[in-house]
Amino acid sequence: MTASSHTLGRAARLRRLRRGYFGSPLSALMTVISGAVIAFIGWVLLDWGLVNATFGADGTQETCAANGGACWSVIAVRWRVILFGIYPYEEQWRSALACAVVGVVILLSCLPRMWSFGRLALVWTLGTVIFYTLMRGGVFGLVPVNEQQWGGLPLTLFIFVATAVIGMPLAIGLALLRRSDYPVIARVSGWIIDTIRSLPLLAILFTCAIVLPFMLPGFLIGEKLYRVLFGAALFFAAYQAEIIRGGFQGIPKGQEEAAKALGLTYWQRTFRIVLPQAFRLALPATINQFVIAFMETSLIVVVGFMELLAAGNTAFKTGTWKFAYAEVYVFVAAIYFVFVFGLSRYGAYLEARMNVGHRKD
Amino acid sequence: MDMTAPAIEITDLNKYYGAFHALRGINLTVSRGEKVVVCGPSGSGKSTMIRCINQLEEHDSGTIQVFGTLVDDNLASLDEIRREVGMVFQQFNLFPHMTVLENCTLAPMLVRKISRADAEATAMRYLEKVRIPDQAQKFPGQLSGGQQQRVAIARALCMQPEILLFDEPTSALDPEMIAEVLDVMVTLAQEGMTMVCVTHEMGFARKVADRVIFMDKGEIIEEAPPETFFSHPRNERTRLFLSQVLGH
Repeated sequence: MTASSHTLGRAARLRRLRRGYFGSPLSALMTVISGAVIAFIGWVLLDWGLVNATFGADGTQETCAANGGACWSVIAVRWRVILFGIYPYEEQWRSALACAVVGVVILLSCLPRMWSFGRLALVWTLGTVIFYTLMRGGVFGLVPVNEQQWGGLPLTLFIFVATAVIGMPLAIGLALLRRSDYPVIARVSGWIIDTIRSLPLLAILFTCAIVLPFMLPGFLIGEKLYRVLFGAALFFAAYQAEIIRGGFQGIPKGQEEAAKALGLTYWQRTFRIVLPQAFRLALPATINQFVIAFMETSLIVVVGFMELLAAGNTAFKTGTWKFAYAEVYVFVAAIYFVFVFGLSRYGAYLEARMNVGHRKD
Repeated sequence: MDMTAPAIEITDLNKYYGAFHALRGINLTVSRGEKVVVCGPSGSGKSTMIRCINQLEEHDSGTIQVFGTLVDDNLASLDEIRREVGMVFQQFNLFPHMTVLENCTLAPMLVRKISRADAEATAMRYLEKVRIPDQAQKFPGQLSGGQQQRVAIARALCMQPEILLFDEPTSALDPEMIAEVLDVMVTLAQEGMTMVCVTHEMGFARKVADRVIFMDKGEIIEEAPPETFFSHPRNERTRLFLSQVLGH
């Protein structure tokens, strides 16, 4: 590793900055120009989003236009549509609570002390049951709400989490089959992965939503939402399986040999030696795949579900707020940002944590 | 397993890599407590041979028996054999994501089904034996090559095997670290462990081997006690090899 800035002294740090930004006439010029561009963009955004913006639920198109900046009133008035979609208005506290449950489950699973099979299984089972009970209702005096009426943030979170939770074991399974000693099994798994990867996600979602009911026996059809989720999970699994395979390839052959020589069985070798190291190696690509999966939840709108982005779209489709689409998109983007940025930072934390003692210097 | 049977009995062992005949009719018997050193030029099949004993390599014909148990397609007997046959590798092959202590306790807990407390007590005993108990909480990546190889020996010992196989244990080490690993191996030999060592350390062979075996081109060319082997090698190829390893 090269010396990073915090290993240098103060004077050396200043010198490095000066050399980096003003070392030659050209770099001084570039520094000044890009500084000016950044300042200009920042000022425009600040001016629009804050200085001249209109806040509060009583803003209208006229008052907003008079102020000249962003019209955050649309969020103040329509936030419940954006966050919860067409979920019955009086019951939306259940949606909010369900979001909180998902949040707590995700945060708990991120804590290293929770990383045992038993604890994770308990948290996730409990979380799923509570989420489903809250959202679906029909028990404990809660009004039943059909999956078709779920919408907004809880739906987005549900799709993402379910895709990952169902998709990851599938991915591990496919990746393990693909490295099987038996060529037939390895090849079949490879074909499955390549087939799914060569289909667009949209086609898979449509197939699961519309075509599958004609092909499956009645008792297997189930709710449309779950069929679509299965499709999304399959798609996730195909890509993630290849990421895990990349991790497998980075593990020296000697690791499995040592485990064999110690008498460990196939499953013990797989779960104690091979997979932990494969996931370490595949971590950056895995986080990337999670981020993509989060973004792709917005595609589910094409089969008739009003997830976060679609709910945002409806929020400004009413006559009064037609002009305020930029504000709604910024708001929705901020929500995506919070989750995806959090995910990326967590990935960086994991990498740093795993590097402790792993590398020699 | 029959502890009165020979520790290892190899009969007419053949192994091919495609068209390449890697092992040609190997016959070798190792009794319990015996120390055998296998040497020979690279590509002579010595590593392949010992890797067949615990089936890291599968042989094509011939038989291998460990304490009378046949090495074959029967998974149960393979498990049994691997429990009793420890192995130390050239590249150490410690598990990098586990501490030294976890490296040593994993297999005893999973394979021998002993409790964590017992496994840790045993592990500390063997870490003391290889003289690095103070490194127990470190990760392999934080240790020197010599220390890693001593941990690898301790890890193998924690399974309390009857036989230890060494596959060029000092070949990947810097010269100043070879001695610390050989010292540990000498101690083990003196305590009566059954050992088969593939190594070029002729000093070690002289000191502890009951028998030295010379292999070339997949065959055993010569086998003799170290005194005879070094002073009166019978075969021309052995003489050439010895002059190369001992010559300078």
